[in-house]
This record gives sequence, structure tokens and C-alpha cells, in this order.
Amino acid sequence: MRLSRMLVLLVLTAIVAVTAATAGARVSGAKKTTTITFWNAYSSDGPEVKRLDKVIIPQFEKTHPGIVVKDVPVPYDSLHQKLVTGVAGGQLPDLVRSDIIWVPELANLGVLEPLDKSLPDFKALSSTVFPGPLATNFWKGHYYGLPLDTNTRTWNYSTTALASAGLSGPPKTFAELKADAATAKAKGLYLYAESGLSCWNVCPWIWSAGGSITNSTYTKASGFLNGPKSVAGIQMLVDLYKAGLMPNIILGGTGGLGTYDGITQGKYVSTLDGPWMFAILGGSVKLAGTTIPAGAGGSVSVVGGEDIVMTKSSKNKAAAAEFTRFMLHPWAQNQMARAGQMTVLKSLTKQLVKIHPYYSIYLKQIANARPRTPTPKWPQIDQVFQTELPKAFKGDETVQQALDSAAKQIDALL
Amino acid sequence: MTLSSSPSQTGLIGRSASALRPITRSFSRRRRKDVIAAYLFLAPGFALFALVILYPITRAFQISLYHWAIAPGTPSEFIGFGNYSKALHDPIFWRGLVNSGFYMAVTVPAQIVIGLAIAVLLDAHMPARTLFRTLFYLPVVTSWVVVSLLFRYLFITDGGLFNWFLHDATHVTGHNIDWLGQRWTAMVAISILGVWKGVGWSMIIFLAALQGVPRELKEAAAVDGAKAWARFRAVSLPAIRPVVAFVTILLVMGGFNVFISVYLMTQGGPQNETQVLLTWMYLQAFSFLDFGYGSAISFMLTLIVFALSIVQLRLFRRPSEAV
Amino acid sequence: MVVGDKRRARTLLGARLALLTVGAIVLIIPFAYMVATSFKQNTLVLQLPPQFIPHRPTTANYREAWNSNQFGHYFLNSLIVATATTILAVLLSSMMAFAFARFQFPGRRLLFGLLLIGLMVPTMMLLIPQFLLARDIGALNSLWGLVFFYTAMNLALNTFLLRSFFQDIPRELEEAMVVDGAGPWARYRKLIMPLSRPALATVAIFTFLASWDEFVWALTVINDPSRRTLPIAIALFQGEHQTSWGLVFAASLIAIAPVIAIFVTFQRQFVSGIASGALKG
Repeated sequence: MRLSRMLVLLVLTAIVAVTAATAGARVSGAKKTTTITFWNAYSSDGPEVKRLDKVIIPQFEKTHPGIVVKDVPVPYDSLHQKLVTGVAGGQLPDLVRSDIIWVPELANLGVLEPLDKSLPDFKALSSTVFPGPLATNFWKGHYYGLPLDTNTRTWNYSTTALASAGLSGPPKTFAELKADAATAKAKGLYLYAESGLSCWNVCPWIWSAGGSITNSTYTKASGFLNGPKSVAGIQMLVDLYKAGLMPNIILGGTGGLGTYDGITQGKYVSTLDGPWMFAILGGSVKLAGTTIPAGAGGSVSVVGGEDIVMTKSSKNKAAAAEFTRFMLHPWAQNQMARAGQMTVLKSLTKQLVKIHPYYSIYLKQIANARPRTPTPKWPQIDQVFQTELPKAFKGDETVQQALDSAAKQIDALL
Repeated sequence: MTLSSSPSQTGLIGRSASALRPITRSFSRRRRKDVIAAYLFLAPGFALFALVILYPITRAFQISLYHWAIAPGTPSEFIGFGNYSKALHDPIFWRGLVNSGFYMAVTVPAQIVIGLAIAVLLDAHMPARTLFRTLFYLPVVTSWVVVSLLFRYLFITDGGLFNWFLHDATHVTGHNIDWLGQRWTAMVAISILGVWKGVGWSMIIFLAALQGVPRELKEAAAVDGAKAWARFRAVSLPAIRPVVAFVTILLVMGGFNVFISVYLMTQGGPQNETQVLLTWMYLQAFSFLDFGYGSAISFMLTLIVFALSIVQLRLFRRPSEAV
Repeated sequence: MVVGDKRRARTLLGARLALLTVGAIVLIIPFAYMVATSFKQNTLVLQLPPQFIPHRPTTANYREAWNSNQFGHYFLNSLIVATATTILAVLLSSMMAFAFARFQFPGRRLLFGLLLIGLMVPTMMLLIPQFLLARDIGALNSLWGLVFFYTAMNLALNTFLLRSFFQDIPRELEEAMVVDGAGPWARYRKLIMPLSRPALATVAIFTFLASWDEFVWALTVINDPSRRTLPIAIALFQGEHQTSWGLVFAASLIAIAPVIAIFVTFQRQFVSGIASGALKG
């Protein structure tokens, strides 16, 4: 019958096509080169992947003949899942650009190579980078990676909106923040919009108020997260919210006006965000940045960024180490800085400001920025923030009660 | 049509595979050839299915009995049904069950009724038939990720399309509804997305079924002078009954398995209000790395769907029909 | 037919068209918005209230999507995988459905029940066990591996659908062939398959769509960027901090085109009266 003959033909065509498609990949493996795979979440839409693929990697391969780097960008939302699956199946790449909050978890799973032991020049390398980002690689006595890029949150505001709010400048202290928020509301604007209650959102306020999440060895939260200063930091936000001076997107619902949309539309004046905000909104909004309003603890923000980690299962550790050194070299860091990735090298701070002037505020803020608690259970701890804190904002509990129960739950996780 | 009428054959049907009897001389040789033919037809597909689906299911069940350690080589702690009892005591598990159930209860009837209605309207010679069929099928064809993000945007409280229509344009509601900020309005929004996306799917199944109803039967009823609705009820509906049955069963399964739309529209929030079973499972497994618990949740979901499917099969079964 | 009947028929047709048009418009609105946005420039921030007609329409998003980093190559990968999967899945599942619908054999209920269980289990849960399996049989990071797994993933639903359709085909036709001495394969090929065109077309459309759109499994097993499929490419347009909506929508609309093409081609198979024609003759 014609149908079955057509079927056979189609199947044959499919076979031929698939073979052809995969043949190309097979042929290239014939040369005697070391190939290292590098998983990352650089976004294809922006300049990051282009710079990596077209500038940095070719330069590396030129100066290191015999090593080929395979760049595997993965959508950020899926990278963690892919890593976890890779761990389970024993199929991990040589290098990963990992979010700093995943490093303790991966190290705890035993899949990362302790670089302080395997890289002979680790001490030299680590002295070239900022200490804060470096600390995010530390777990149970060893360093499991090196910082690759860093970022922090600063107080970014639209100068046009600031003027419409009747203010002459951004607030410098908690007290000014409260006063300015009221002034702005009188003119129909929200001075400060925050989009959630995870640690990334609120920890800057806790720290700036002089509080902390845990003790210095990261083993206990009670007495710290629910200490008087931490409570004061959150209380300030709750007071602002209850007085109607902050939009309700802080509760984490997805239906409200987002921070970027709000600032673009002139309804919000400022928010806290990283350097990418300038890259994204700089064209449509007159953005300026300053350090976070200072509380009793000063102006302290939160460290973000990515580390480069090497897997224990890598069969090309020497080559991977070479690429790691290359990525931490001033030349490559400079290249990525132009693509919007803030460098981790202490020596490049002047160049950074030349590339993008807004980096100067970030450099200032990151000098004393603090990391989130390094622990494999970080996702659960963040969940606790997001389920307990809203109760204080909604008025179901007092701030003290919410933080008490949060601290208790976090104790159990640490 | 009555295979089950012969007693020896009924007896055969009633047995499970584990009680296989050797094929005795009382069956004709053609009978045996038929059985072998059946197995031959079944073999390639079922072998593939068993390897890729059934075997991983048993592994997943095994995982659910442990405090599973992900890294290969690390020992896992056997805890028997510990994960299952954890689920039973987990308030968010129950909330997820209710949310998944709500989604199913809203989307399944809606998709069946609307899908059937559209299929009936399209089951005729008319201009632009292909165009209509394609238009109704378009939402089905678009990726879940893209439409979930699109609908999240459309349900934005101030200025989103739905609120603009309900509040600014038609003044049906007095104020802008915070769709995604509370549990039930968010579940309604997610359900609307589910119906919008799925209607075309059930439509083309019903259309294929309706077009399989022999035209003479429909025409015969018309000659008898029956009105359109009565005709439909008497002829088409019974003829497509098995199709309605399995569409219902499949939609119920799909309803309980809702994941991407919830994940992208509300992330199960705020404060885990809109968690459905699968988003909660995903969080446990891939964020908290508790695969044992995640597997247990999935199996409980499977059990529920299984029980519901049995109930539906019984409800829809015709007296003469053997499964 | 009497004149009055003709007029009634026409009003009925008019009512049909009106209802269908209203329904189609309601259903298409979100879609129309997607299309409109894909022709807008600089869509990092979506506008509120939504605009349906862009100020200055541009094809920049489409051009950027197509020219970006091997988009055409991923398109081809997806096309190959989806086509091969559809053919294999339709073949294997129709064979299984034929066996379930037309034969009595020991274990029929059990095997069918197992098939149903495969349908009920959430696929997310099987991700890791399937990954381990793929690793063990060498199906990682290959398009053939994808076809293998996608076919298996579609078997249960397709078999379920086809069995129901096959059961409704009148047995007299088949019994006539048996009397003529036709074996099972001949009955399958010459009778069941041609008579089930609507059902086969339906199953083909569903399978193609499922493989074309599949994201999670492809993301998990494919590491080689040259072997990526389209959904991953589209997901990569969503950045960590921002998303160019116009770009994402444009890429998604390009991705929809083949499925629509398949749909339009196969839905012509929904021709009524094949079975009735065969009954008469």
C-alpha cells in the first residue's frame, strides 16, 4: 500500500538525516586535543555569550594550543536542575560557572574539587580577588572554587521620578528614607519598591540596621536573626508598608507592577538592584545609583555573583585549571566587564569605572557587602524567609514573632 | 461485537497474566496463531515502553523508600514509608492536593463542554472550516512556557488585559482584581489558561470522533424529523461516548499533573498558597534535593489519579464492553 | 428539499459561523497580543495597558531570532527529532492498539493496565531514573537518544487513543478478510490503518507537537550546543535578569510554523463517511 511505502521512505529519510546531523560532531573528535566543557548561564540575548565565544575562548585556544573549550550556556532557571541531574548520573562537565549560593551545596555533595589543595598557585590567585566573593567558595575548611564575577545591590533611582516626588536627593539614612517616602507618597509616588522577602531582598536592611542572620560561624540563628537590631531593620520596612508607603509587591505576589516596569512608568522612584539594571533600563530611564541608606550598622549590602568551580569527575583537570586562570586574568576579566560582568579583581577597579561609570557605586558598596549564609540548606532557609516574613507585613504577627519562628526553623536547618 | 459471549473466552479474559494456563488442544490452531500474532504486534512497542517508562517507575518507587542521597556512591538511608507518612502530615501537601483538584474540577468539564460544542459546530460543510480549526488549535500548539508568561502578564492587577476588560472597559467589577495575589483568584486565572490552551486539543479529538459517526445514521435521524439537539443526543453522543470517556480520563490525569503554568505564573506562591502537587514536588526534589520525598509525593499523586481513573472507567463502561 | 428547509439551513449556517467567529476571536486575543509584541522594538519592559497595534512595526525581532547563534540549526534538529518520533510512535502504538483492540490473549488486561499506569505517572518524577538509564544505554547527548525516549514517552497515550478508535471499526469487514485468508498483518495494513485515518492523523499531530515542544528532557540530556533543540534555544532568549519579550515571542512564533503546517496537512484526513462508504460497499 502506498501508505506503508511512504512510511518506509520517511523512516529511511529520517535515519539518513539524523546520521548526517550527528556525523559532523563525530568527525571533529578525531584530532588529538583536550576538550573541556564549561557550563554557564550567560544569557544568549545579551553580550555575554558573544564575548565569551567570539573573543575570550578563541584567544584562550590560540594561547593554549591543544585545548578546546566547549561553552554550554544553559538557561539560568534550569542550570541548577541540570547540575543536580548531572550529579545523580555522574555526568558533570569540567567547569561550571555556578551561582555562589550553590557552591556549598555542590561541595557538600562531594562533586567539587578543592582548589586550595589542587592548584599550586591558589594562594596567589586568591589574593588578587575581593575577599567577600572569595569567601563564598569556602566550605568545611576548603575552598572549592574561585570567584568569577560579582555583584551587589545598590540604591538605584530614577532622577526624573525623584524630582517629581519633590526630593532633592536620595536618602542617606533610615530616618531620611522614612521621611522621603512620605514626601513621595504625597506626590503619588512610591519612593522604594522591593519585589519580595527573600534574603536577597531584605538582608541588606537587616545588616544595615546592625543585625545579622546568624553567628559568625553560621551555626545558630536564634539570638541573631531575631535580635533587636535585626528586628529594627525589618520593622522599618513593615512600618513603611503599613503606612502605605511601599507597594504590595513586597509580599511576593506575581500580579503587581514590577520594579522595572514601575520605575519606567514613573510610579516608583527607586529600588535595590545590581549593575545589570543600568544595562537594561539605562536607555529608557535616567538612572543613578548610590549606597544603601545607612542604619545603625552602616550601609551594608548583599554579595551576589558567580564562582567558577571544577568538578572532581573532570578528566582534564590541568586544562580546566588553565582556563580558570585565564578567566581570572585581568585581560579576560576586562573583556567580561565590558559585557556587564563586574570583575572580582582588586587591580581592575579603576578600569571598571572607565568602562561603565556606574560601577563606582558598586565598588563602594561591595567593599563591606556580606554573603548569605553559606550552607547546603540555603534554599530551605530562603523559603523560611519567604513564608515567615510576610506574616509580619500582613499584620498576622509582630516582627519579633515572625523572626522568632524563622530563627527557630533556621536553627533546625543549620 | 460480543467477544465475551463465549464462556471459555470469558474465562480467559478474566484471568490475570500470572495465572496463565497452557494453551490446550481445545483452542483451534488459528486461535494460537492469533495469540502469537498479538504478542508480535505488541512486542516492539511494549518493550520500548517497559524499558523507558516502567523500569524508571520502579526505580523512582525505590527512591521514595529512602532518604535518597544524590551523589553516586553515597549511601542512602532506608526509611520505608517514611516519606509517605511525611506527605500525609504535610499541610502544604494537602493544600497542593486541593489546588490540583480545583484546577482539575474547573478545567476538565470546561474543556469537554466547550471542545465538544466547537467540534459540533465545525462538523459540517462550511466555508473557512480549515481556518477555524487551525485558529482553535493555535493555543494548543504554542509552548506552555511562552503562554504561561504571556498570561501572567495578561493577569497583572493594574493594567493587565483581563482587568482592563473587566474594570475599565465593561465595568463588570468595581476595582482591579489582584488575580495572582491570592489563592483562589490565582487558581481561577491558572485554570482559565488551562482551558484556553486545552480546548483545541479536545476539539480535534471530538471532531475526529464525530466525523467517524456514519453519515447515514445522522441522516436517518434527520429523516425521522428529529430536531438537531435531539438528533445529537440520540445518535452522535452515544456514538462518541467512548471518546468522551477517554478524553475525560486523560484530562483528569492532565489536570492533576499541572505544573508549568503554575510554576511560571505564581511559582506556587505567594507563601505556598497556590502550590499544586507537582510544583511542591519539584521544589522538594530539585531545590531542596530531597528526591525521596519528591518521589513519594509523585507516587501519591499517581495513586489518586489511578483511583479516579478506575472510577471513571466504571462509570463510563457499557454493559457489553469488556476492558 | 423544500425552500423553507433551504432557508433554515442557511440561517443555521449563519448561526454556526457567528458563534465560531466569536469563539475564535476570544481565543485568539492573547495570541494576537503575542504577534503584536513580536513586531515591536525594545520590548524589555512590557507596556500596560497592552497595545495591540505597534507604533512602528519592525521585523527586527524575527531577524535577530533567526540569525542568532544557529537558530536554524536547532530548528532542523527539532524537525528531525519530531518527525522521526512521530513516525515511530504512530507505527508502534498502532500496532499495540491493534493487538489490544482485536485480539484476546493472556495478560491483555494487565499489559493495558501497565500502559495506563505509565500514562498516570508524572514525568518529572522519572527524570533522574531516566537519566541514569540514558547514561547506561548510551543515549545521552544524541538526537537518536531523544527520538528513542520521545517515542517511548508517547506510546501510552497514542495506544490508548488508537485502541478506542480501532474498537469502533465494525468487525464484519475484518471477518470478511479473514474468510479470504488474510493474516493479521494484512488486516492491519489494508483495513485498520486506512480506515483509521482521522485517528492516525490526530495521533500524529499530538506526537509531533509533544516532541517539538519538549523542553525538560532535551535540556537534561543534550549538552552539545550543536545538538540542541528549539525549545532550549527559545529559553535561552530569557535572560537571568531581563527578557526581550519581542524576541521570545518572535522565536516562539517561528517555532509554531511547522506544527501549523503539519496540522493543516493532516487535518484534511478528517474525511467523514469512509467507514460508512466501506459498509455500503
